Amino acid sequence: MLKVENIKKSYQQKEIVKGITLEVEKGEAFGLLGPNGAGKSTAISMICGLVPYDDGEILVDGLSVKKRPMDIKRKIGLVPQDIALYPTMSALDNLLFWGKMYGLKGPDAKSRANEILEMVGLEDRRKEQIQTFSGGMKRRINIGAALMHEPELLIMDEPTVGIDPQSRNHILETVKSLNKAGMTIIYTSHYMEEVEYLCNRIAILDHGEVIASGTTQELDAQLAGGTILRMEVEQYTEDFLNQIESLNGVEQVNAESNQQLNILLKEDQKTMTEIIRLSVENNITIREFKREEANLESLFLKLTGRTLRD
Amino acid sequence: MKSLLIAMKDMKIQLKDRKQLVLMLLMPIVLTAILGTALKGVLDSGEAPKTVLGLYNQDHHEVTEGFIDSVLQSKEMKSSLELKIVRSEKQLKGFLEGGKIDAGLVLPDQWGASLVAGKSVGALIYQGSGKEINAAFVQQLTDTYAKSVQTVSGSTTFAVTNLVMQAKQAGESFNPEKPAKQIAAAAAGAIANTNYIEDVPVGNKSVSAMQYYAAAMAAMFLLFNAMNGGKSFHIERGTETLARLMATPTTSGAILRGKFLGTWFIALLQFLVFMIVTHYVLAVDWGSNVWQTLILAFAYSFAVAGLSMVVAAFTKSERAADAIGSVGVQVFAILGGSMLPIASFPEILRNISKVTPNSWALTSFVDIMGGSATWNSLLLPVFVMIGMGLCAAAIGVWHLRVKY
Repeated sequence: MLKVENIKKSYQQKEIVKGITLEVEKGEAFGLLGPNGAGKSTAISMICGLVPYDDGEILVDGLSVKKRPMDIKRKIGLVPQDIALYPTMSALDNLLFWGKMYGLKGPDAKSRANEILEMVGLEDRRKEQIQTFSGGMKRRINIGAALMHEPELLIMDEPTVGIDPQSRNHILETVKSLNKAGMTIIYTSHYMEEVEYLCNRIAILDHGEVIASGTTQELDAQLAGGTILRMEVEQYTEDFLNQIESLNGVEQVNAESNQQLNILLKEDQKTMTEIIRLSVENNITIREFKREEANLESLFLKLTGRTLRD
Repeated sequence: MKSLLIAMKDMKIQLKDRKQLVLMLLMPIVLTAILGTALKGVLDSGEAPKTVLGLYNQDHHEVTEGFIDSVLQSKEMKSSLELKIVRSEKQLKGFLEGGKIDAGLVLPDQWGASLVAGKSVGALIYQGSGKEINAAFVQQLTDTYAKSVQTVSGSTTFAVTNLVMQAKQAGESFNPEKPAKQIAAAAAGAIANTNYIEDVPVGNKSVSAMQYYAAAMAAMFLLFNAMNGGKSFHIERGTETLARLMATPTTSGAILRGKFLGTWFIALLQFLVFMIVTHYVLAVDWGSNVWQTLILAFAYSFAVAGLSMVVAAFTKSERAADAIGSVGVQVFAILGGSMLPIASFPEILRNISKVTPNSWALTSFVDIMGGSATWNSLLLPVFVMIGMGLCAAAIGVWHLRVKY
């Protein structure tokens, strides 16, 4: 469905995208994971034909984005990161407008808008202005607008930012069912749990590059059963960090702040005991000591030394 | 088709914005009512505008000579009227075209005699381009003098005839020449002291202060659409609806056309509503030819829509568009005569005002209201405004394409 071949993009002589290569199969849910500024939104803009790429090639259903932009735009539904709706227009009018912009005609547009309103659970508020909706409801209409023309490829750019858990669940379930129905989905987020839940395959982006990609199992395997240890201490010293780093079972130590340490462990129980011992010896007060199973976040930490939310 | 969808969507958004509706519709109506009423005295019977009048006199009747000597060249008129005597109507027209005079007056042969006889051989008044008020002033002087002479002549005839009748009944002989001369002299003095500035007629009808300010406010408040059109670009950019539009199978040209059409339609609708409301609520007469007014509004709205593209292209944010738009509207409004009549401006400002579309619109609206506009005379302002709109839109679109 989508083939991205070594695309590059520079702004004012600064390379924002340094050569991304991806392939997404028809019917697949593909996750793009990365912290803010990793190049996810720029990559999406290039796939949608909004931003021209300097080098490489993007093919959607075999068509070049550069050569056949209009044909490609008909196949893609884009859910932007912001609420790209007209706040003083009703939910129904917004959906009708976006549907018509994709070529839907009067009666078809109306029946499709009603379907979408039902799908996003807002049929009883169809005539109300978007500005009266909660953040979660706005997000649902934001997604609905991208579904009006029944796209083959749905690209969602951080669709759950700043919303309540109920709306978030509703969105995740909607996306899951759309994917089950055969729609190809590209889902970008810095919430790794959403990406893990929805996507079959994932690419992790950082500084405009793909630093890891594969199925969730393949990515987990890269960690080889590693564990992440989150420690909140009163005040640590450089010497204390060096001592922890020198332990056999420690793969990496990342100081997130003056008090927060993220430690990637190769071995689990024995190393944790050692860390506690070192803390006592160095007179370091531990406020919080939390062990997390290996996940995409720990993989990102391993690869970049930073957390996804950095 | 997609351009129309975008335009209709923009109209819908504007019409739902109550704050905008108040600014765009209620404010100009209220201001028209206030200015039209408050400045009635100033505009309708205020100080006469400084006028250079070309006079071609074909008549040598003493009443005509009296008009020239006692009225046009009187001490009282010296500060308002500068007289240039010409030898022919052709020379008069030449002076008008060359901008050497503001208005021209042709007093035809037998003009004076016809007034004395209670009839009227009409004097011809020519108006220089953009000199409605000056021409109106000259017409008012001429009309008032003519009416006064007709009244005095009628009453002198009546009085002398009565005296002759009474003398006959008393069996006395009576020579009417002496009292007739005395009455005529007294009447001539009264005519010379008459206040000739009572109203401001343009063409063959009077244009009241309410009419002038209705046209002025329409010209001014339609300009706000240039600002709003520009702002709507930035709003769409900020909320990512512009990016979303670009993600649909719609060309950037169609999006730009849609934005242009949206502003054009909104401005036209605003004018129509304003015209209807001021006509029925404030009794503003927009002239006898509504089609002329509508064509002019069509062209003016087009120019405004063009300007909106410039505002969109040369501002960086909604706030900048707001600030620059507000200042721009005020400068254009002052230059274009929406605050004070263009006729009261010095020559240099009158020339500068021609770069503003609202000046062309206002002058032409007033011409239509005064009945002096013909389809031919409207061709120039219509083409100028459409030209301004096209140039502005071209510059704006070019810059927007470079920018994004």
